[in-house]
Amino acid sequence: MIGRIRATPVRVSGAALVFVAVGMAASALVDVFEGGEAVGALVASALVTGGVGAAMLAGSGVSTRSDASIAFASVAWAWLAVAVAGALPFLLGGVVPWASADDALFESISGFTCTGSTVLADLAAVPRGILFFRSMTQWFGGMGLIVLAVAVLPALKVGGLELVASEAPGPTADRLTPRVTETARRLWILYGSVTVIVTVALLVVGMGPFDAVTHSFTTLATGGYSPHPDSVAHFDSIAVEGVLIVAMIYCGANFSVHWHAATSGPGAYRRVSEVRWYLALLGGGFLAMVLLNVGESSLTQNLRDSLFYAVSLGTSTGFGTSDYILWGPAAQIVLILLMLVGGMTGSTTGGIKVLRLQLIVRYAVREVIRARHPRAVSPMRVGDMVVAEQVAARAIGFVLLYLGVTVAGGVLVTALGVDPVTGFSGAISAIGNDGPALGEAGPLSNFLVFPRAARAVLMGLMLFGRLELFPTLLMFAAATRALGRARHDIRRGRPQ
Amino acid sequence: MTPRPPRAAPGPGVVDRLRVALLRFLRLLLSQVSTGRFESAAAVTCGAVLAVSSLLFFVAAFADVLGQGNDGLILLGLGVMAVLLGILVTHGSRFPDRLTVPRLFGSVAVGAAATVLVLMVAHLATGSVHSLDVAFLEAAATVTGTNASTVDPETLGAGVLVVRAVGQWVAGAALIVILVRVLPHMGVGGLDADGGVATRSARRLSPRSGATVGRLLLLYCLVSAVIGVGYVVAGMPLSDSMLHAASTVSPGGFSPQKASLGGYGSAGIEWVAIVGMLIGGTSLPLMFLALRRRDPHRFLRSFEFRIYLMIIGLVTLAVLAWAESWPTATSLRQALFAAVSAASTTGFVTGDPSVLPGGVSPLLLLTAVIGGMSASVAGGFKVVRLMALVAFIRRELRRAIHPTAIEALRLGRSSIGEVAVGRIVGELLAAMLLVIPASVALAGGGLDIESSFSLTFSSLASYGPVFGAAASGVQLPSLGAVGHVVAGSMMLLGRIGVVPVLVSVMVMAEPAARHLRPRQRVGDER
Repeated sequence: MIGRIRATPVRVSGAALVFVAVGMAASALVDVFEGGEAVGALVASALVTGGVGAAMLAGSGVSTRSDASIAFASVAWAWLAVAVAGALPFLLGGVVPWASADDALFESISGFTCTGSTVLADLAAVPRGILFFRSMTQWFGGMGLIVLAVAVLPALKVGGLELVASEAPGPTADRLTPRVTETARRLWILYGSVTVIVTVALLVVGMGPFDAVTHSFTTLATGGYSPHPDSVAHFDSIAVEGVLIVAMIYCGANFSVHWHAATSGPGAYRRVSEVRWYLALLGGGFLAMVLLNVGESSLTQNLRDSLFYAVSLGTSTGFGTSDYILWGPAAQIVLILLMLVGGMTGSTTGGIKVLRLQLIVRYAVREVIRARHPRAVSPMRVGDMVVAEQVAARAIGFVLLYLGVTVAGGVLVTALGVDPVTGFSGAISAIGNDGPALGEAGPLSNFLVFPRAARAVLMGLMLFGRLELFPTLLMFAAATRALGRARHDIRRGRPQ
Repeated sequence: MTPRPPRAAPGPGVVDRLRVALLRFLRLLLSQVSTGRFESAAAVTCGAVLAVSSLLFFVAAFADVLGQGNDGLILLGLGVMAVLLGILVTHGSRFPDRLTVPRLFGSVAVGAAATVLVLMVAHLATGSVHSLDVAFLEAAATVTGTNASTVDPETLGAGVLVVRAVGQWVAGAALIVILVRVLPHMGVGGLDADGGVATRSARRLSPRSGATVGRLLLLYCLVSAVIGVGYVVAGMPLSDSMLHAASTVSPGGFSPQKASLGGYGSAGIEWVAIVGMLIGGTSLPLMFLALRRRDPHRFLRSFEFRIYLMIIGLVTLAVLAWAESWPTATSLRQALFAAVSAASTTGFVTGDPSVLPGGVSPLLLLTAVIGGMSASVAGGFKVVRLMALVAFIRRELRRAIHPTAIEALRLGRSSIGEVAVGRIVGELLAAMLLVIPASVALAGGGLDIESSFSLTFSSLASYGPVFGAAASGVQLPSLGAVGHVVAGSMMLLGRIGVVPVLVSVMVMAEPAARHLRPRQRVGDER
């Protein structure tokens, strides 16, 4: 009898695949009511994914050793596994030809990482069930992300994220193992409830049931996939945009704070300095864009577009209502800033995160003060909290690595054959999980403007950005070590 | 019940306090001038700037007369005025007995501002530019050694060309003095933002810093002369050789030709420039020691020099890879030229930057942002600081797995302290926070996105060339006053450092802030 492989990454990946298979089956059910063009493809995908996932789950156990590297590897491999499985419906449904299997993988990675960049040129020709599954990939990605962002990464002290626990007390796991299940349960209750509320609100303002559900899925996950090629511009409704703006602002904030506010009142928001910075950044971006866009369109249109895009890109959602490529260059640079920073920690947004921006500013100010008063002891504060040097170093290390990877990705993408604005904004968008970019890859375009090799680079950037860089980098280290250990055990004849 | 403490009458208003502060300052100034000397490091620095500027103007006037230009008399007059003012300021002021580090910051910033002001006057007086903002941009480009200009050099007289190119050379020489005499004293401040790594090698040259300055300046002059002779031998006219030698070694990048060195179309000239620029980006103390002890292996033993060469090599290969045809001797030379020009932040070009392949322009800009070696006169962030940041990131990655691990940061065989890394990171973050507002301001002035970002980074790195729609140089003159001032300010901030400039502003603003601060009322809780 073959023993179980004691590898947590395999077990976690198996569980995630089973979860995704359930989503595929649900999408098949939706497709039955929406024309039934892709039922077979979705059912087949569900069977393959579920079968592989169940086999991995049944054939594996938890690693004998438990440390940060195993946790990093589990997170990264699980994301990679579901991304590969998520490509199946696109291939089996004939949406993407097998010769372009990498495009199906791109669409899936873009979904599960809540990015929202697409390579599907003709969305109108895609079966409704697959469009539903496409939105669901983002919703699933968001479910994984809030647990990852609120509980797992802070517990692993990734990029100074342990600040989240101090700055925003809520259902945060102090220790990873005992509390993570309870944390996940609470967060998913909140996540599911808000999904229902947003769906109902979208139905009330006139959206059809299919559009309401798919848009609420992608809004909650701050992903930005829309079943329509012209995104939210398709509805041309101020009410729809209003609901989405409120929902995006909510989902761009820390779910831990939301939970706290839901249980103990809205005063929880006032106590968190990151909330103030987040709202100030969105407000500042909106005002700057309104001012810089004066004369580009009517005042009403200017206000409407500027507000929508400040929120859409400031929360890394990426919905589009108009073509901001036609704006002046100064306003587009403001969009780049919003894309770089993203939303709050503990949310499903991408980017550097507002809390780290706070730290950057405080760090720079502290160094100026230190230069003026070399002997002064000036602790770094975020809100009312003093940040330890090691935590600040981790956060700054993350930001520097993030920017370094972004620049390297931008140079590489540009080198592969696009103009620098499209290349660099594409890299910023991919690593920040924003969706649209600037230049040729605007909100009403798609990522087919990038050469095939460049799209591969962008896929890597999406995964890097989604998992806060460190897990992806350390995944390879952990995998190498795990393989080495397994080989060692096999040589010694130890049971697995 | 505790009795309510008595409250004092409301204090004087802001205007009154300002008036009192001004009167106090005037009284102090008059009392010090009446005793013969005004004690101020900033004033002494200004006096030195005026003295050096006068020399520059006399040389420029002489060159203008030789070149049969029209600016000779104006430059002579400016030189005389600078001499008189310099004598007045130098004799009326004296260096304070005790100088705090923040005051030293202030002196450096005031010295740079005075130089910019003097050069602005020169540009306006000679009629080479006609507005204050353009004069500011040209002066900032000269002082910081940045090859960004709004004027066509072929329309300028010989005198103004000398002011520009030799001005860059003099600024390079001043940087050597600052490197040896000023930076070590700021080891606890912020200008020495690499924690002494840049100045450590310079301090080892001689026990006396005056002798070190002399040796390095001598080396600087010798290298300039050798490169000048090299240009002449390669076929460049004598006057152009002198100007190019000055702007190659500095490494500023100003050229009397509109097409820069590409205007000569000579492989020999380009090879001489490559050597000159490479030297411009190399650590002067390292070069001095290697030459004095006749030990060329010293270069290879330097970890930073190896990285500097590796960057140049990689960029050269990348530029060649982007070319549409197989590499030839010409394409290799031009790729190497572009890489060395960027790495040393000289900014010379051999062709039209607007026709570069898409990937080359961001790569060159990135190389310029990294810049040359520490303790060199090149701009940019400096290779050693990049190495420190890479070491810092690597350590944080390892700490992600081993959170309690204690690990020192190492640069080659030496280590670097936490405070020094903090200063490097602080300087980088402060500069980064400026990039987006500056780019927005430049885009608001009419530049496209690529040009805005490239001008911002190019200015911060003291490089010069701009990519995007502004690469042809047509858009810079019509950028607008805000754009010119922003670009010039970025050059100065990049060269002096964001943190030192902010500290200088703080130091200068502190007396006024003290006077403006409302006085504590009687009975108020402490």
